Amino acid sequence: MRASDRPEHRNPARHAQDAAPGADLAAQLGLVARGNATAFEAVYEQVGPSVLGLVRSVIRDPAQSEEVAQDVLLEVWRTAFKFDTSRGSAIAWIMTLAHRRAVDRVRSVQKESERERRTAAADIPYDEVTEAVESRLDRERVRRCLGSLTELQRESVTLAYYGGYTYGQVATLLGIPTGTVKTRMRDALIRLRDCLGVAG
Amino acid sequence: MNGIKLSARIRPWRRGAGSDEHTLAGAYAMDALSAPDRTAFERHLAGCEDCEQEIASLREATARLAAATAVTPPPGFKERVLAAAVITRQEAPAEGGAGAPAAGNRAARTPAAPGPVSWLRWMARQGWRVRLAAAAGATVTVAVLAAAVAFGLANGSMRQQLDQAQSSSQQIAAVLTAQDAVMRTGAVFGGGTATIVMSHSRHALVFTAAGLRALPSSRGYELWLVGPAGDRPVGMLHAGSHGMTGPVIASGLRQGDRLILTAEPAGGSTRPDMPMMLDVVL
Repeated sequence: MRASDRPEHRNPARHAQDAAPGADLAAQLGLVARGNATAFEAVYEQVGPSVLGLVRSVIRDPAQSEEVAQDVLLEVWRTAFKFDTSRGSAIAWIMTLAHRRAVDRVRSVQKESERERRTAAADIPYDEVTEAVESRLDRERVRRCLGSLTELQRESVTLAYYGGYTYGQVATLLGIPTGTVKTRMRDALIRLRDCLGVAG
Repeated sequence: MNGIKLSARIRPWRRGAGSDEHTLAGAYAMDALSAPDRTAFERHLAGCEDCEQEIASLREATARLAAATAVTPPPGFKERVLAAAVITRQEAPAEGGAGAPAAGNRAARTPAAPGPVSWLRWMARQGWRVRLAAAAGATVTVAVLAAAVAFGLANGSMRQQLDQAQSSSQQIAAVLTAQDAVMRTGAVFGGGTATIVMSHSRHALVFTAAGLRALPSSRGYELWLVGPAGDRPVGMLHAGSHGMTGPVIASGLRQGDRLILTAEPAGGSTRPDMPMMLDVVL
């Protein structure tokens, strides 16, 4: 009676497809809210890589990133009922959760070691982030749209979104007034939104 | 996603512009506000429908930025996420029918939730046998928590039980989410299936079983870790509801250990009796 790994759970990806051929993420979340684990698996397939990628772009440390990404995905599982289609898309809901969590993690760590943060700030990793983003394909469009921004807009968005910095920190890093950064961030997102063809 | 629907709903952003505070919408949509700024801006948001809509539309854009970062998760990541979900209780919405899920409400974890038992059955049908047993454990913990709430926590021993349940679910979660978590299943002699999730980095394992044969009241199942470090009793198993047993956390796991299940006098033994009902090399 030696216990062993058994092929008892059949290929889960197949289940996911069986359960919901072509159903969209919002519908899957509705099922998840009712405790459907297969739908959760389907949701994972669609958003897991992006959640992990986003969290990693902010946090950097792979182990911590995995931990936070897992927390985010579990939050999706726990609170799927809160997703409301009238307030935006499912992907936006999930990515908002993911980004908020990643940023919260980075900032709570920063609080603990302000000195470290200053050191880190001196050597901004945004070029690397941009590089990573740009190197991936499907992201052509994102790249093109980021490229359509002014340099200041692009840097503001990259530092804030991919880097997890506050607008005050971004202002310091770029050496420009906070009021300017605020405006650039908003203008940049509006341009991105229009360029990416979301909601417009 | 949902682009057409949103465009019909969202008014031109310029309408919401005006107040100086509103220029923070972009920073807010990117979580680029410090905690105090965030709180202040959310206060502003509460009275500004246009702002909310603008932020929703900006978040459609940031979600696209997020999608561009997708990476291939490391091996085992997906399994850990799914396994953790199975033992994680979902929050329940407020009562009140359709449309009730209010914005951003931090819903209380009320005991009325998607019936875990029927859900387990559903999963069993799906062939999720391995995950099934683990989920049963969560049910037991939830039952203790629910009972504690029902008693208003007035009773000291109930509080203690609740504390134990909470600390044990934290330990369980730590094992299940460990990087090196490995799942094993085994048939129990006499009937039933055991599921074990172990983590050597956490020096612990979580044991659950389903469908164990009932023993006479004078006897009970006892779990042991045996190995180079000697035989250590983990504890007696208490039968849960619906034929589920556990979860039981066994800490002090060492390299070379085996997990053994035996039938012992109800009070427990000092060393494992034969026969072994289950013997798992860890």
